[in-house]
Amino acid sequence: MNLLLLANSEGPGNPVSFELLPAITAFVVFGVAFAILATKVWPTISKALDERNAKIVGEIKAAEDARTAAKAAQTEFEKSLANAREEAANMIKQARADAQRIADELKARNEQELAERVSRANADIESARKAAVAELQAQSAALAVEVASKILRREVNDQDNARLVQESLQELASSRH
Amino acid sequence: MTLLLASGANPLGHVLDQSSGFSEKFGTDVKLSVVSLIVGALIVLVWLLYSASRIRIGPESQGHARWVTKGRAAQIVEVLVDGLYSQILEPVMGARLARAWLPFLFSLFFFVLVLNLMGLVPLMDIQEIAHSFGGHGTEEENAAAKKAMLWIGGTATASLSVNMALALWAFLAIQWQSVRELGVKGTLEHLCGGPELVSNKGLWFVVPIIFAVEVLGMVIKPAALAIRLFANMVGGHTLMATLMMFGAMAGSAGLAMSAVGGISLLAGGFAVIITFLELFVAFLQAFVFMFLTGVFISQMAHHGEHHDEEHGHEDHHGSESAAAHAPGAVHGH
Repeated sequence: MNLLLLANSEGPGNPVSFELLPAITAFVVFGVAFAILATKVWPTISKALDERNAKIVGEIKAAEDARTAAKAAQTEFEKSLANAREEAANMIKQARADAQRIADELKARNEQELAERVSRANADIESARKAAVAELQAQSAALAVEVASKILRREVNDQDNARLVQESLQELASSRH
Repeated sequence: MTLLLASGANPLGHVLDQSSGFSEKFGTDVKLSVVSLIVGALIVLVWLLYSASRIRIGPESQGHARWVTKGRAAQIVEVLVDGLYSQILEPVMGARLARAWLPFLFSLFFFVLVLNLMGLVPLMDIQEIAHSFGGHGTEEENAAAKKAMLWIGGTATASLSVNMALALWAFLAIQWQSVRELGVKGTLEHLCGGPELVSNKGLWFVVPIIFAVEVLGMVIKPAALAIRLFANMVGGHTLMATLMMFGAMAGSAGLAMSAVGGISLLAGGFAVIITFLELFVAFLQAFVFMFLTGVFISQMAHHGEHHDEEHGHEDHHGSESAAAHAPGAVHGH
């Protein structure tokens, strides 16, 4: 307490008085500090800040470019997807039409084939019928000759047989008509 | 606390520069500001060298982490440098000048900032309190002991002598920029009002007047920097000391102990608030010193390009026209 009061008794001095030693010290100390900072500190910090700034700007630009590219890709993808959907729909439509056409063709072919088979069967039946009739006529003629031979009790030679058969057939044919 | 309060008998006694304990050792009056300057410079160098190593982009082996500044101390430096450069210096001075003067201006800023902040640390009070526990002798012995006990403390930038030396650096920087932009002949012509006026025989009598005004302006600009910093530092610390003095004044006025305690508590509370203001002022005045130096430097650079316009501006508003637009110019105690 006494100590500081004593200091006050000496007076604080002139606040704006000029002291040479502090001034010279300040000038020299700042000069030395500035020289060290200017060579060792500020170039490093400036370079780092520039690099960091360039990196950040570059990253932002790359991100914006990537976003633009992604957006373009998305648009392209959506467009492709729409095209693919349309193409798929067309293919399904085409497949259905083809299936229908093939089914119609098969059906028509089957019907035609069936008609041909029926026609062929009818022809076969007709020819079989004709053969049966001819055979029947032949057997009837032979039987008639045999019966007639027996009736006449005489042998009829082959020429007579043939003539008789021919006559019998003609008669039979004329009788049918 | 008693010592602190007692010191308030004259608030300036605790604010102005005092002799240090080194005076006896060196046989000359070594002020505390001298010690603070050297310690402050060491702090600045250690802080900024460390920060530069942490701000530097690391090797690729560190991966993405190499782009990140490590450590709070370095991050503070990075934020201050990046913010002040991109938001203040570059827009005001232009990219070319701001980049060229970045080392000088930021060295000035951090040097003044550290000195200002050192003034907020109560180093003198700690030493006085420590010394008060020692023995008490006669008044002469105590006075001698007090001179010998203070090794560091005080605010170096509260010394006009220190500030004038720093302002001298600012002055040299401004003139260096002038000579670099205009040349020696151009600078002299500028001091005489420009080549048009010098070559005009009819107006020869104006030249000495303009020369005197320009030379005064050359000196006043940096001198104003020194005085502004000095006034702000002394003003703030004086206010603090005055607040702390109220308790002692109440005690010496014979008030009851409860009243003395109440007044001391109230004044102490205000002192805490003022300390925060002082913290802000420490940053602000460092910024103002750096910023105005940059403005004066850029004025020299622009002189060659817009000589007439600049002169008209200065004639009307004085040499500190730019200072009027500075954020710190509105501040003052």
